[in-house]
Order: sequence, then structure tokens, then C-alpha cells
Amino acid sequence: MSELTVKSSPAWFKQSLRLLHHEFRRGELTIIFLAIVLAVGTVFSLTGFTEQIKQAIMSNSANTIAADRVFGANRKIPVEFLEKSEDLSLKLASKILIDSMVFAGDNMLLSELDAVSDSYPLRGKFMGKTSLSQTPVSIETIKRGTAWVEESVLARLDVKIGGTVEVGVLPLTIAGVITEIPDRSYRMFVAGPAIFLNIEDIADTDLIQPGSRVYYQYLFAGEQDNVETFEKWLKPQLNDTQNWYDAKSAQSRLSNVLDRSEKFLSLASMLGIVLAAVAVAVASRRYGQRHQPMVAVFKALGASKSHVQKLYMLHWGLLSLISICVGLVVGYLLMLVGVSAIENYLSLDESQLSFNPFFTAIITGVLCAVAFAIHPITELISTKPLDVIRGFSQNVLPKFGWHQLIPLLALFALLMLFSRDLMMSLSLLLGGILVSVILLFLGRLIMGAGRTAGSKAGKSWHLALANLKRRANENSVQLVSFTIAIQLLLLITVMKSSIIEEWQSQFPENTPNHYLLNITADEVQPLKAFAEELNIDNQGFYSIFLGRLSAINNEKTISIEDDSANNERDTADKDENKEEKPKGRKGAGRELSLTWQSQLPIENEIVEGKWWQEHDDTPQVSMESGMAERLEVKLGDKLTFTIGSDEFTVPVTSIRDVNWKSRQLNFIMIFNQTAIKNIESTSISAWMVPDEKKKQVYRFLSDYPTISIMDFGSIMKQLMNMIDQVSIAIELILVLVILAGSLVLVAQVQASMEERERELAILRTLGAKGSLLRNSVLFEFIALGGVAGLMASIAMEIAVYFLQTQVFEMTASFHFSYWLVGIGAGAAFVGIMGMLSCWRLLNLSSVTLIRRTM
Amino acid sequence: MVCLDMLLANDEEEVVVNVIKLKNIKIKMGCLFMKSDSEIILKISALTKSVQLEDKTLELLQPIDLTVNSGETLAIVGSSGSGKTTLLSILAGLDLPTSGEVYLKNHPLHQFNEEQRSQVRANHVGFIFQQFLLISSLTALENVMLPAELANLPDAKELGLALLEQVGLAERAEHYPSQLSGGEQQRVAIARAFITKPDVLFADEPTGNLDTKTGIHIADLLFELNEKLDTTLILVTHDPKLAMRCQRQVEMDSGVLQEKYTQTKSTNEFIADMKVG
Ligand SMILES: Nc1ncnc2c1ncn2[C@@H]1O[C@H](COP(=O)(O)OP(=O)(O)OP(=O)(O)O)[C@@H](O)[C@H]1O
Ligand SMILES: [Mg+2]
Repeated sequence: MSELTVKSSPAWFKQSLRLLHHEFRRGELTIIFLAIVLAVGTVFSLTGFTEQIKQAIMSNSANTIAADRVFGANRKIPVEFLEKSEDLSLKLASKILIDSMVFAGDNMLLSELDAVSDSYPLRGKFMGKTSLSQTPVSIETIKRGTAWVEESVLARLDVKIGGTVEVGVLPLTIAGVITEIPDRSYRMFVAGPAIFLNIEDIADTDLIQPGSRVYYQYLFAGEQDNVETFEKWLKPQLNDTQNWYDAKSAQSRLSNVLDRSEKFLSLASMLGIVLAAVAVAVASRRYGQRHQPMVAVFKALGASKSHVQKLYMLHWGLLSLISICVGLVVGYLLMLVGVSAIENYLSLDESQLSFNPFFTAIITGVLCAVAFAIHPITELISTKPLDVIRGFSQNVLPKFGWHQLIPLLALFALLMLFSRDLMMSLSLLLGGILVSVILLFLGRLIMGAGRTAGSKAGKSWHLALANLKRRANENSVQLVSFTIAIQLLLLITVMKSSIIEEWQSQFPENTPNHYLLNITADEVQPLKAFAEELNIDNQGFYSIFLGRLSAINNEKTISIEDDSANNERDTADKDENKEEKPKGRKGAGRELSLTWQSQLPIENEIVEGKWWQEHDDTPQVSMESGMAERLEVKLGDKLTFTIGSDEFTVPVTSIRDVNWKSRQLNFIMIFNQTAIKNIESTSISAWMVPDEKKKQVYRFLSDYPTISIMDFGSIMKQLMNMIDQVSIAIELILVLVILAGSLVLVAQVQASMEERERELAILRTLGAKGSLLRNSVLFEFIALGGVAGLMASIAMEIAVYFLQTQVFEMTASFHFSYWLVGIGAGAAFVGIMGMLSCWRLLNLSSVTLIRRTM
Repeated sequence: MVCLDMLLANDEEEVVVNVIKLKNIKIKMGCLFMKSDSEIILKISALTKSVQLEDKTLELLQPIDLTVNSGETLAIVGSSGSGKTTLLSILAGLDLPTSGEVYLKNHPLHQFNEEQRSQVRANHVGFIFQQFLLISSLTALENVMLPAELANLPDAKELGLALLEQVGLAERAEHYPSQLSGGEQQRVAIARAFITKPDVLFADEPTGNLDTKTGIHIADLLFELNEKLDTTLILVTHDPKLAMRCQRQVEMDSGVLQEKYTQTKSTNEFIADMKVG
């Protein structure tokens, strides 16, 4: 009977495929399928997404600095530096960078002007095209009187190639569109699109005035030895406003900028991955339990162990394979969504997607499928045929043993794989275990207390809480996952809104919405008159000049690590400085915008000393309190400032608190007039221009083309737009986390389904009414969700505190309103999901129920 | 003593068995000759089963001897908890005895490991359970085909369809167990049990979960197929009527097995029946 040969494929193969087919159709594999899809999709999309960003930044064109070394400063380079470089026969190119408004007809645009010498670039490709359809060619020189622009300039100014842009007072003909900038790394987070012009033209624009924000770059290239000699010679002579870059330091500067946002993204997504992994673990345990009777029957009918083994290996393998493939597709689509959100800010090259996201995601899928399933499936395969007679051990809580180590190790490997950060992975894992243990303990405590309370709260509640208590073991597991899910959701929501809030709080209503920069001395009077005529609220005109705090009490200052220096260009070289560890006083680390005033500006408050009398002839300075504290400057200390080639020393006669959150013009150092008598400066003013007067103001200002206008309204709009789009990326992760959380929940409910079925059957037979049963199930879930929400809120608060203070360097805040959200949403969500999953069960007639469970 | 009784009974039945086999045109050469012991399909001797509880040992089965001949129908009756299911699971090779010997088709099950016993089950044994135990995510037909596939029979599908036809469920072949009534599920289970033409069929309370009428119908089907395919049937039941339909009854009482009743009149009647058929 048995020796007959098999026609085609072996029986286990056919049976396995058949099972897979039917179970997929009947939705029995949906949860485990979704869990793996989610894990793979999450990892793929996030890895791909961050990789795309990194690639945009670190790509070859961004790596180069168009030279071997670059000197950068707010002032021109000392002549001896240039002489030395000539001695070493280094090639030189120079570049001047200015943020400025440019005009074309009625349109204006904040752009970054790059005025370059003919020798630019020394390294890398500078490419462009003279008609939009042409293939890009190398731009050799920029002819005087012409400009090369980034493509977005054309649309935003509504001009064509061959048209005219006004840069300062100088009209320039647009010669073509730039397609590749060799030192693009500088261009990553700038005010606007680039406009390149010849450096000889810059003087004619009238944009460079004393006090203007101008950045000079000198690019050097040559024989490596010579470059290194030059570097050795030059570096010790740099002061703290002069920067020196090579390709590597330019890169690390950029990655520093990205670090913060990346930390947030990867933290959130790691938590998402943990949840997805938990869902896989729960679902595969259920998978094992659900298949137990099947295996027992198979074995009773004579299937050998190897038959069952092969059958399930194939079944699980195919299931994982399908899930992983779908996960890759889903992940790819999600990545596209994320990428499209930030496309406007970074030029991404999708074709460059590397093998890495695929690799990471596939490994994730395999790891999840193997590590979390190996125990349930080995248990499943070793099911005894006798079980068909003696019944199945349902919902036995996993005992502690070696097999528990495997999922933990896998989780750790997953986190490592994703983050490549040992500390972060380890602390997340250990923290997670610790938190779980605490939650388990707390949860039991709360559920125990709840039962006593529930006994006074009516039959349904009584039954619900008794059930909760009875299923304490299993519920604790559910509780931990609900708690983690809810906590993550809260955490991300709170963090997101607090980041956005912090941004928004910097732009309150009814404060100046326009800054006017670069106002020359002759222009101040007509502007004042105009502002008065139109009744425009302004904070007066401040003269402004850039200067360096070079000594405190005659002790030279050195630049130290300076977190508050927002100006990226100034912070690049800190590594080098750290290495050398020069001795001296802590300095400001950058050039400061200085001004003089006779009156104390509004939103300023003297905390020490006294503001000067209007006609006090002794030179003196008032210093902002935060900076004073940081530099350990006290009242009466003598500060030496270097402005260009001038140097002067003044005593500190007052220390002020400044409200930095206001959009007033704020200054760290304010002199009295006698202190800065002979220093050339331009002025700056902050205007509150109502919308209806905007046109008039712009028309008037177009007569003064060298004045830069910063319209905060539109910058704000741009910024909000950017936040919106960036938060799409964050929301993407939020959605993934919510999905993973719900999946954990559904998987958990499903896992407890058989037991619930049995209990309901018993209660029904004992005569319990349908409404009582429904309510008790509902209340059980509500109580579970509520408790999870409460614990999640507490956990969230702790986590937010650490994140805000340790990771994001923000001020800590508390969020009691989110507690209500957490508890309410937890109760509602778990209640609804639980009811939905049990709905079918609750509506079964008692006869069916009893029959099904016997 | 019990053994002697059984041997006496066996001789008479041998005839019946062989005649039925002829009827099915399933000729076994050995059957043409009168052989008194070649057709012993199941033989146990001095079989005991005990389980170790925390504080004491529970003797589930006292030493039991039993021989079952090919084609025989045997009912095991007895009060609840007396050890019927325990005995059945050992006979079927699902469980191992604590001591004693079990031979099924001359295979020493008591010496076999799980794998070897699986092999024996696949080739010689069929099952019908009280809880039907169909696989919920396979269709009726696929459930029926299962043992045939496990025994590597060709044409599993055709065999399955034919058997479903015989139990009157041809139209429900593509339905899942959850779409079938209890009686229909048990009919599928019966079809499944017979598909490999097993040498021995074990049934534990096959009608226990069904109402009386359906129970009778299922029993009819069971005996009809049993007769047609010439299977040895070992049946555990509480139902005296069902037990009466078997040629032989043994009773379990607190782990002790006793011969209760053996049908003797049957030979002539069977031959008469046969002529009608
Ligand atoms: N693994 C075991 N551990 C402890 N006791 C067991 C075990 N297996 C069976 N028993 C006990 O052995 C006795 C016989 O069980 P068995 O299932 O064989 O009874 P049964 O005759 O089939 O009863 P019923 O007619 O109710 O099905 C029962 O008292 C049962 O509780
Ligand atoms: Mg029994």
C-alpha cells in the first residue's frame, strides 16, 4: 500500500501550498503577514529615506569644496596669507557670498549671491546650460554683466534665460541655468537659490557696505605637499572668526546639522521597529497555537515528524517570503512619500538608491520570521499526536528559558542593524526590558486595586475586572504592549508639537514683520520720513557694525565650542581648535553685530549696573546677561573689541536681560555713542508693515536697491510650509508606529480568542444575558486600555523630559492635557479594537458557541 | 481464560471474513486456506498503563490481553473514566504502554518510536474522533485526501471524491468544515478514515457529539463502509445500541478489561445478506 511511487511533487509540498492558499484566503494569516510587512516596510522606508538625505549631502559633488582647502571669513584675507600661497605656487580662486534680495520687474526673491573669480572652480565641475533643453556643459567663466542662476530662480522671478535680474543697483543678463555647483555642500541650508556673478561686478552692485553681512572665501589648490605646508603655516595664525576647511570638515559640519533631526527620526523608527517585532512575536505565537490541532491530526493520521517539519518550513518560509516581498514594495512606496516631502529642500537622486535599504529590510524580515517564530514552530512541530485525544495546552504563558533569549538577541541585532549605534541599541533594549518589568508589576497592582473598586460598580464592571484579574498574566503582556504603543504615540505627538511650538513661539503676532538691512547713513533720513508719513510702527534705526570681542581685561579671547553660534560658517573649524587647546579667555567665538544706543531698547531690562545718561562722554558698553554669564564677565570688566583694523577698550557698565523670543532687534553688545565715534556703519530697522501698505513700502524701497528687505511674513510662510513638509516625514513614522501598535493589539486579542470563546460559552450556558456579556467584554478592554493609557502617560512624561533635556536641548515641559488624551484614547482605542475583534464572538448564539468549543 | 474464549470465537469468524473479502474481489491468497492465526491483526498482552502524579502512581490500565482478528468489529464499552480512551490510544499507537506488548499487523508498537508508529498509522490505521477533528482551513475534499497523501497513494483526489460521494457529500467537496453541520463533519471524517482502506479503524465515541437520529445515520454509514471495505473496526462507545451492532463487545471497568458478548449467530445471516447484495 505504501510502496507506491509519487507522481509529481511530494505530499508535504502540495499540502503546504494548499494550506497556505486557503489560510491566506480565509484571512487566518493576515496578522502575521501584516506584522512582517510592517517590520520590513518600516525598515526599508526609513533606511532608504535617511540614505537618500545623506546621499544628497554626502554625494561626490557635495563632498568637494571646489578646491583643496578653503579659507573663509567675514572679512578679506590678510595679504600675507595670499603672498605665502603664491610662494608655494598654489592656485587661488575667490568667492564672495551675500544673502540679498534680487528683483525682476515687480518680483523679488531672497537669494544667495555667489560672486566668483574667473579661476573658480579649482576642483570639481561647475556645469550649466544656456537653454533649458540643452545638455549641460562646463561653465568656464562668468562674463561681466551676466549671471548664472539656479533653475528655480527663473520661475520665482518669472524671467527667462536672456532676461534681466537686478542685483543691488546692477542689472545683470541671465546667461544660463546652473546644473551642478562643485561646492554645493555650502548650499544646503541657505536663504534661497544661488545666483552666480563675476566677482568684478560685485562692487557695482553697491551691496557691500560697512556692516553688511558678507562672507569671503578663498579657495586654494595645488601640490599636496605645498597645500600641507601652507596649512601648517597658516593654521596657527587663524583667529576665531577665520575658518579653514578641507573636504572632510565641510562634510562633518553638514552632518552635525543633520544629526538632531536624524536622531529623532531614528529613535522614533527604532521604536516602531520594536513594535512591529512585538507584533510578529505575538502573531507567531498565535500561529503556533492555532496550528497545534492541525499538527496533532496530521500526526495521528500517520504523518512523520519530517513530513510535518518540511510542511511547516515551506509554509512559514513562503509566508515570510511573500510578506518580505510585499514589505519591500510597501517600504519603497512609503519612502517615495517621504522623499517627495523633502524634495524641495534637497536635490535627491533616486536612481542612486543603494543596496543597503534592501539588505537591511530583508535581514529584518528574515530575522523577525526566524527568531520570533523558531520557538513557536519547534513547539508546534513537536506536538504529540496523543493531543488529539487529550486536548491542547492553550495559552500557556511562555516559560523563561533559552528560547526567550533568541528574540531578545534578534531585537538587539535589529536595532544594531538599523541604527549602527551600540549605545543607543543597548540602552533601548535594556531600558525596554526594565520598563516592561516595571509595567508588569505596576499593571498587576492597578488591576488588583481595580477589582476591589469594580466590585462596587455593577455586574458588568465586576465581571470585567474579575476577568482582567484572572487573565493577569496574559493581560500583563498585553498591557505592556499597549502601554508601549500608546506611549510612543504620545511621545511622538508631544515631541512634534513641542518642536513646532518652539519654532512658532519665535514669531508672535503684532511684532515687526520686516527687517531692513544695509541702510547707508544718507538713506536713514528719507526712510524715517517715509515711515512717519505712512504711520508705520518701527523700532528706530540702529547702526550696525561687525566686530570681534578680542580681549577681556586684556586677556586674549580664544574661540571655544559654541553651541549658540547658529551661523554654520563660523563653527566649522572647531575640531582643529579643540586639538590645539590654546590658553586664553573664553570668547564669543564669532563676530558680533554691534550697535550703539542712547536709550535702553524695549524688551530689554537692566539686571546689573545702570544705563548711561544721554550725554555721558565716557565710552562704555552694556552686555546681554546670558553671554556675560557664559564668558564670566562682570560689571566693570574691560572689553576689547576689534573692528576691522580698529581696536578699542570699554568697561561694562550694565548687564541686560533680553527677550530673545521677541522679534525686536536684539543686540548682545550695545555701546554708547562716544565709544564708537569713528566707526563706519550701516543701519538696520525693524518695521511692522500691515498687508495693505506692503505695496507702497516695496515701491518706495525699490528706489533704494541696496537696502535688503527681509519679509518675515513670507519667510515665516516658507518656514511653516517647510515644517509641514518635514512633518510629513515624521507623520509617516507616526502612522507606522500606530499601525504597529494596533497590530500588536489585534494580535493579542486574537491570541486570547479561544479562551474567551470558551469562557463566553460557559457564561452563556450558565444563563448570562447577552448585554451583560457584551458590556463585560467592552469594559474589560476599556479598563485595559485606560490603565495602559495612564501608564503610558507617565512613561511618556519621563521620556519627554529626558529627550527634551538630553537629546534636543530644549527646555523641559509637562503635558497634563496629553494624559487625558492618553487615557481616553487608550480606553477608546483598545475598547473599540477589542469589541471589533470579539464582535463575531459575542453575537454567536449560545448553541454555536457551546458546540464550537466542546 | 479470556484468551481461550477469544480463540474459540475467532475460528468461526474467519469464514465470514474471508467470504466478505471474496465479495469485494479483494483476493488475498492466504485467505483461501483456513489459517487460524495469520489474520490476527491486533494482539496485546499483559498491557498496563500508569501515570505518575505528584504524590502517587495512578494505574489506568490493569494488565490486559486482547486479540482482534482481521475484519472483526469490536466495541469497547464501560463507564466514564474507566480507561477506554487510554486503551484505544495505545492500540492505535498514539501512546505507549507502561509495560506489555502491542502488535498491530505484527508491528511491535511498544518497541517503536514516535516516527515508526506514525509510519504504521499512515499505512494501516484510520481514525474517527468524537470531536471530528477536521482541519478547519482545508476543504472537505482536502481533509478526506489527507491520509491518502500521507500514505503516498496516487489518485488521492479521485479516491476522495468517490468516498465523499459514498457518504453523500459530493456537492460539499469544496466547503470548509465550518460550513458543515456536525453530522456532515462526521461524515467527512468517516470518508477520511476510509480513504486509505485501513486495516484497522479506531473510533472514539463517533456519535457522541450528535443527536440520536444523526447518530444512527452516521453509525449506518460507518458499518456500511466498514463492511464494504472489509476493515477491522474498534469502537469506543457509551451507546449500548451502537455497541450491539458490533460482533463483539468488551467492557472496561476501572482499567480491567472483560469480554462481554460475542455474536455467534451471524455467519448464516451474513451469507444470506451477501446473496441479496
Ligand atoms: N495523562 C493523564 N494524567 C492523569 N490522569 C489521566 C491521564 N490520562 C487519563 N487519565 C485518567 O485516566 C482515567 C481514564 O481516562 P480515559 O480517558 O481513558 O477514560 P474513558 O473511559 O475514555 O472515559 P470517558 O468515557 O469519559 O471518555 C480517567 O480518570 C482520567 O482522568
Ligand atoms: Mg473517552
